[in-house]
Amino acid sequence: MSERDVRADVGAPDGAGGGNASRRGSVLVSLFFIVAGIVTLYDTTTYTDVDSKVFPRAAAILLIVAAAISLITDRVRGAREEGFGQGDWWRRALLIASMLACCLAMPLTGFLPAAAIAFTGALVAAMHPRWSVRHAWLYGISGAVLMAGFYALFRYGLHVPLP
Amino acid sequence: MEAGSFLAALTPLNLLLALAGVAAGTLIGSIPGLTATMAVAVLVPITFTMEPASALILLGAIYTGAIYGGAYAAILLNTPGTPSAIATTFDGYPMAQRGEGDLAVALACFASVAGGLVGALALLFLAPPLSRVALAFGPVEYFWLAIFGLSLIAALSSGALWKGLAGGAFGLILSSVGVAEVSADIRLTFGSQTLIGGFGVVGALIGLYCIPVLIDLVAVPERHLKIADEIDTMPIGRAARLAWGSKVNLARSSVIGTLVGILPGAGGSVAGLVAYSEAKRNAGPEQRFGQGEPDGIIATESANNATVGGGFIPTLVLGIPGTPPDAVILGALLVQGVRTGPALFESGGGSIAYTFIYGLLIATVLMLPVGLLVGRYAYRSIVTIPKAMLVPGVAFMTVIGTFAIHNSVSDVTLMILLGVFGWVVGRFGFSASPIVLGLILGPIAEQGFVQGWIIGSAMEDLTGMFFGRPLSLAIIAFTLLSLCWPAYAVRRRTRSKARARAGAGMAPP
Repeated sequence: MSERDVRADVGAPDGAGGGNASRRGSVLVSLFFIVAGIVTLYDTTTYTDVDSKVFPRAAAILLIVAAAISLITDRVRGAREEGFGQGDWWRRALLIASMLACCLAMPLTGFLPAAAIAFTGALVAAMHPRWSVRHAWLYGISGAVLMAGFYALFRYGLHVPLP
Repeated sequence: MEAGSFLAALTPLNLLLALAGVAAGTLIGSIPGLTATMAVAVLVPITFTMEPASALILLGAIYTGAIYGGAYAAILLNTPGTPSAIATTFDGYPMAQRGEGDLAVALACFASVAGGLVGALALLFLAPPLSRVALAFGPVEYFWLAIFGLSLIAALSSGALWKGLAGGAFGLILSSVGVAEVSADIRLTFGSQTLIGGFGVVGALIGLYCIPVLIDLVAVPERHLKIADEIDTMPIGRAARLAWGSKVNLARSSVIGTLVGILPGAGGSVAGLVAYSEAKRNAGPEQRFGQGEPDGIIATESANNATVGGGFIPTLVLGIPGTPPDAVILGALLVQGVRTGPALFESGGGSIAYTFIYGLLIATVLMLPVGLLVGRYAYRSIVTIPKAMLVPGVAFMTVIGTFAIHNSVSDVTLMILLGVFGWVVGRFGFSASPIVLGLILGPIAEQGFVQGWIIGSAMEDLTGMFFGRPLSLAIIAFTLLSLCWPAYAVRRRTRSKARARAGAGMAPP
């Protein structure tokens, strides 16, 4: 078993001191930026006005050069970033998925039910102690009051047309 | 007339309105997504039935309170409540993480009051001469000012300069998504209707700063912020001493904020970044900016609140709003029958203008007790609230706050995706701050550059246009200084350490 595998097993932050996964991640981000720069350069060829091209082109060239140098330095010196670190992946995924689900549901269900999806997902993701009936009631009612209060503030106080 | 205006500002009703305005502004500004512009805009209709002076005092108080309120979320949640508080996150959140959140909030209050007073006093005494500075700024100066702001990337990315530059360039590209600033080309939308409006700054700020914090928070059971081992019962006294000890930084940042506030379109975010950069450049070797350095908060918060008074200078003297909330207040002035312009202070509207300025000064002073009280309560709430309620509560506020900007679900989706992107790249050393800098300063830089280019081409003197104007040259000099300073500071530290080691080696045992 390699040192990296052991570190992964105990949940230690991968990459401190230049772990392979961290270096790979850093290289992938640099490559993504280089590709983004190339795509921007290609997109500028479709603009009709020269004034529209100058700035994105300059930024794209800077992006490509900076990302390429960053990639080379990471390869030579080794990335010193912490990588994705410790923690439960399902909680992170649940948080992001519930927030995106809220966006998808909003046009269909209206604001409050959609926001309730995000709230519930985030609540389950962030709840580390063991659930109890008291917790469920307390957090459920508090969440409902919070959402209803902010909904009323935005909708009727600030006149934001919430769906 | 001035004594009469001062007394008019001191009526019980005006004092009450100033107090209520500061409190309301502070609360609205502390909610991510609700900007100072929005706070002023939604409350303008309430003022239409009031006396002109009272109405303006209320609006000024809301504005100044909202700029300060942005610091709470920046310090306690790493999310700038308003764009003006971007640089407050750099040192505010690290201070909160190590258990000094109450001190950071109190420090932000003292700095905001000091900056607000400097800006308001400049408005009272120096409005006409300072408004001429605004007129001296052409597109090229705006371009160089944006480049100066971008040079902060060098200071923010010590040890990872190329990653910082890549992030900054990516932010510039994100800022050019949508319809072009000067011509009407549609850029980088790839046929998507969602992207035609581009990336909104406030939504991007919420996504890039807040979502990564939420993603990290849910993954582990540890508390959100560390509670100090020893409860500091008097953080206010400590904050006052710290602020007084940094009086040079406080004065310099307040002046920077006032001057940047005078420039139409620049605003509190640019002021905060420039002041932060200068504070870092002038820092002592023991100061660690970006790791919870109190001077970072002092610089940013004094500068962004100084833009309130500074922004009113061109608004009142020239009729050109310095910042977006000034534009809303300018509209309210017109509704009240006050005609702005060079003759305002001599004409009949002058008494209203002076009453408003005194009202702004009083509101800024009132911000001290209100801010300290609300700040302490906000800190205790955030520290003691269980994570299982904090995370969904903040997630809900990011959704509703982002939606409220343009009433658009697409903005919310972009905010979340940008946040996830920011979290991923952040784990590999590509910090979110350079991306945000590029996103904010990109439009200012592009518009200034293209307009300068067009004017320079028409005059057949591009070099003179970009490098021949005294103001431009001064900003270029500051930019070069800002870029080279981190390398110089490292070299100076290394040399002094080497000298100290050599001295210790030569000393008798």
